Amino acid sequence: MSEEKADSRTTAHGSRLTAHGSALSSVLAVAAKDATAELRRRTALVAVLFFAVTALALVSFAIGPFGLPADDRPPVQAALLWIILFFAAATGLPRAFAHEEETGTALALRKTLPAARVLAGKALFNFGLFLAIAAVTVPGFGVLLEASFGSPAGLAATVLAGGYGLAVVSTFLSALSARAGQRHVLFVLIAFPLLSPLLLTAISATVEALRGGFPGTALRVLIAYDGAATCAAYLLAAVAWEE
Amino acid sequence: MPSATTLTAENLSKSFSGPPLFRGLSMSVRGGLVAVAGRNGSGKTTLLRILAGLARPTSGRVVLERAGRALPDPERRLAVGWSSPDLELYGELSGEENLRFFRRAAGRPEPLEESRRRLREVGLAEEAIGRRVEELSTGMRQRLRLAFATLFDPDVLLLDEPANGLDVEGRAVLATIVERARRRGAVVIASNDERDLAGADERVELDVSRKP
Repeated sequence: MSEEKADSRTTAHGSRLTAHGSALSSVLAVAAKDATAELRRRTALVAVLFFAVTALALVSFAIGPFGLPADDRPPVQAALLWIILFFAAATGLPRAFAHEEETGTALALRKTLPAARVLAGKALFNFGLFLAIAAVTVPGFGVLLEASFGSPAGLAATVLAGGYGLAVVSTFLSALSARAGQRHVLFVLIAFPLLSPLLLTAISATVEALRGGFPGTALRVLIAYDGAATCAAYLLAAVAWEE
Repeated sequence: MPSATTLTAENLSKSFSGPPLFRGLSMSVRGGLVAVAGRNGSGKTTLLRILAGLARPTSGRVVLERAGRALPDPERRLAVGWSSPDLELYGELSGEENLRFFRRAAGRPEPLEESRRRLREVGLAEEAIGRRVEELSTGMRQRLRLAFATLFDPDVLLLDEPANGLDVEGRAVLATIVERARRRGAVVIASNDERDLAGADERVELDVSRKP
């Protein structure tokens, strides 16, 4: 009898592991599919990189490295950096689900996969896209504005944590607004209150990193935000995307 | 021979704006071929979407049971195959890449040769296999939809206007798919073309259930 119980526990444990493995392979497959399609289409990639480079060039011409007193530089530079990152991301990230609806592929995806797995895969792709934007923008920002990255590790951690939250929330909002008539307006209206705490905290952490300190407290807030955003997106994915 | 899987719709109603498309519709699909007929706008496509789990009924419910046990969500999605003219696959990918993506995404990857066999079964020739979906003709896309519908060898196959855009050879492919799926489980076909509904074991007329 006890052996039977042990067997059933082992089987249940095994099936849970299989389910987790299957969920992970779903997420990776969706992200890889989006990456392949994007590399062939290049719509989002070109748009976000073009925006990032243009914004960076305009900011560097308008302010330049010596346009500000030394003490004022970190807050202004941090705000400008996140404005560029946010708007560059906002050019590409919201397309995650809208493109599926526009091309009619959403039905095939909905038929095959639970919404949470699709959302996780698309969030992973969007995070990769954000990192590609950041890989161009942050070093370019450092060179063109002669920003001193006092704590490179702090800055990298801030960009990673801020970018993750931005990707998850943008992807979720993309799912929520994908079938709306005025989806771009809806996205911006909902994104503003949801992303403001993330952006303000990311700017505050970046200021500290530019001044040479490690932004421990702000990073903890960012990580807590990321955790809460991930849980909310997971729980609400089906409500947001499935009929 | 009846299938071990049963798809049951209980007291379904669906309304958008205006009068309901259908009301109090119940049906049980255990095996064989079920034809869904009705004039344009009678709700055939909507009914199949509800049965496929892609749309919610306004009231009523759909249950898929295998050996008396209701299937949980991920399993349910794969146990029911579905094709419709509204279904599109990824234009940037080839037909083969599309099939392999959906198999991987569902956690059931299969060898390349198996995906190619599926494409050959719907009559997509070698040269079409490597081409992007956006480059395929209407008929070829319809064949690809059929390959998608049967991708997980479903117990219940739901086909909405399955012969759309198919040539004579394509219709023969469709007949083979329907016959095979019918032997394995159940097939539900919704169509305006009586040729597609010939030989059905049961028939659901949607106009009859519609009340203004």
